[in-house]
Amino acid sequence: MSTGLWVLAAAVVVAIAAGLVLRARNGKVRVAKDSAALPAEVLAVLDGDVTLVMFTTQFCANCKYTRPVLRELAEHTDGIAYAEIDLTDQPELAKQVSVLSTPTTLAVGADGTELLRVGGVPERDELLQNLRPHLR
Amino acid sequence: MFEGAPVDPRGPRFAAWLTTAVLAVVLATGWWPLLAAQAVVFGIGAFVGLKQAPYSVLYRKLVAPRLGPTDEREDAAPLRFAQAVGFGFAVIGTAGFVLAIPALGLVATAFALVAALLNAAFGFCLGCESYLLLQRLAPSNR
Repeated sequence: MSTGLWVLAAAVVVAIAAGLVLRARNGKVRVAKDSAALPAEVLAVLDGDVTLVMFTTQFCANCKYTRPVLRELAEHTDGIAYAEIDLTDQPELAKQVSVLSTPTTLAVGADGTELLRVGGVPERDELLQNLRPHLR
Repeated sequence: MFEGAPVDPRGPRFAAWLTTAVLAVVLATGWWPLLAAQAVVFGIGAFVGLKQAPYSVLYRKLVAPRLGPTDEREDAAPLRFAQAVGFGFAVIGTAGFVLAIPALGLVATAFALVAALLNAAFGFCLGCESYLLLQRLAPSNR
């Protein structure tokens, strides 16, 4: 078999494996491991017990699916607020909050600490379940 | 730069399958003119407009009439940015083949194929997702 065919086979395997991993990770809640201080740009949008901060860019394909989930959650749950930060022209901020892909949603407590984060489109009920202990 | 009217999301998915097939042929045969043609297709989608992109035209003429209308729409900017990323890989791949650096040609084409297949099979737009990563890697990073 030629080198090109081997590369083709490898690329197909990698794409399928990556697709399965990405599908499994999409929307999963990851509880924050440390409570490093968040940048002022994030602290400036905090409002309520927990603020869901969605990081987006002009080229975010799935932000339009994430936005209504977060908005609905904020509108119907006391203590939860929703904010959006566009990282298109803010690469330094993206680096500070360790966001490499969008949408990434951070749940931030009233004291400015990161509680959890979600990459991709979150599962509403799973997210709410993880936020309940932080709501008064 | 990458703005435009929202599109039927089934069009980009169709284009991703076609792109996957084209790139698979390139890898299997090493026939670089086909990769160069794919670069042109990417370039039209990215820098001229999705409506003018050849695969979009094929979708509208041949496929859409059989599927019927849909109210769903997808933003153009992420799709055009992804086309620009594909354009970059296709140009690098073509240069690799033309300059007798086949490893470069194969690797760049393989990257483009992985992205196209991820989009076609899983609906995951790797090109769109890579914006922040590319921005971080860019030398002009502020």
